[in-house]
Amino acid sequence: MAKKTYDLLFKLLLIGDSGVGKTCILFRFSDNHFTTTFISTIGIDFKIKTVELRGKKIKLQIWDTAGQERFHTITTSYYRGAMGIMLVYDITNEKTFDDIVKWLRNIDEHANEDVEKMILGNKCDMEEKRVVSKERGEAIAREHGIRFMETSAKANINIDRAFSELAEAILDKTSGREADADHARIATVAYCTSAAVAASAAHMPEPEGAPDNFAKTLAF
Amino acid sequence: MSEVENSEVAVENDQKDYVEDGKNKLNVKCKFCGSKILDKKSAKYITLEKDLPLMQQDNNRKEGEIQNEQIKEFYHVENMYTFENIGFTHTVANCKYLSCADCDAGPVGFYDMDTKHSYVALSRIEHA
Ligand SMILES: Nc1nc2c(ncn2[C@@H]2O[C@H](COP(=O)(O)OP(=O)(O)OP(=O)(O)O)[C@@H](O)[C@H]2O)c(=O)[nH]1
Ligand SMILES: [Mg+2]
Ligand SMILES: [Zn+2]
Repeated sequence: MAKKTYDLLFKLLLIGDSGVGKTCILFRFSDNHFTTTFISTIGIDFKIKTVELRGKKIKLQIWDTAGQERFHTITTSYYRGAMGIMLVYDITNEKTFDDIVKWLRNIDEHANEDVEKMILGNKCDMEEKRVVSKERGEAIAREHGIRFMETSAKANINIDRAFSELAEAILDKTSGREADADHARIATVAYCTSAAVAASAAHMPEPEGAPDNFAKTLAF
Repeated sequence: MSEVENSEVAVENDQKDYVEDGKNKLNVKCKFCGSKILDKKSAKYITLEKDLPLMQQDNNRKEGEIQNEQIKEFYHVENMYTFENIGFTHTVANCKYLSCADCDAGPVGFYDMDTKHSYVALSRIEHA
């Protein structure tokens, strides 16, 4: 097997109600005319991105999920392997903010208890339509002891920063246990994907494509 | 840019310029935004005949029709985590298409669901 060219692999998941902008966060609103063609028709399942944090080369595997899947249908298999979850609401839609609590409960029930969470108030470019203040977003995040950021997929505000922060939080968490430097550790950041993906959790590429110890890490 | 003959020759010599010890000698980047797709020497050069949908489909094409182009030169990537930055589409006919993780341009290649191997088309990327 080829030698590993990175230190850590974090799997991240995007979660949140339908329409909050999960897919747009993953699939850039780009001025690029190519985005309107073949790829956008099929849609992006996940992305791999490489970031460097504190001298470590970290691969982020970021999954989109479908919000139509109601919280009660989101199961353990759906969250499997995720070490990070981006919980997204829409600052112009009250209901999506109220549902954050339900998503949090669902995560508590089904995700790994280690999972690192972050709340994103998306569509912050639409100030004139805002119904959820930034303070309320900050308050709920503080209440649950998790990170918070307002983002805009459309104006590309804070998207990369949010992912770096989440990755860094996972790094903080894992570094304490990182006695075995030879082994890349897998962390997962969960994204909210679309119906198709959630409908077939089996669809998530499993350990096969992953480094040797990926399966092991997923199994704990 | 001056002589047409020279550019012809350059195409012939593509492989020599870009491939060393059977691998990509240079970094592989997105043609449109420069996002780094593969680190140098991380993928194997192979030839293989495969139809890939055009990156830009003609707007006047028939509805539902997909315009393809046959590609013969690829970089073969056995482990998906070898990629620096890449997007994977949803599955179509046992394959996922690869796209730029930063500007979503694509397909720049495909991923075979059976083998779990990825293939990046040389003609759809830039070496740097
Ligand atoms: N103004 C603005 N609109 C956005 C933003 N992000 C997404 N949208 C719009 O919100 C709508 C829904 O976005 P999606 O990304 O499809 O939402 P989703 O969360 O993936 O929804 P599901 O797949 O149904 O779960 C689209 O019309 C987007 O154009 C943003 O940051 N600003
Ligand atoms: Mg979506
Ligand atoms: Zn690009």
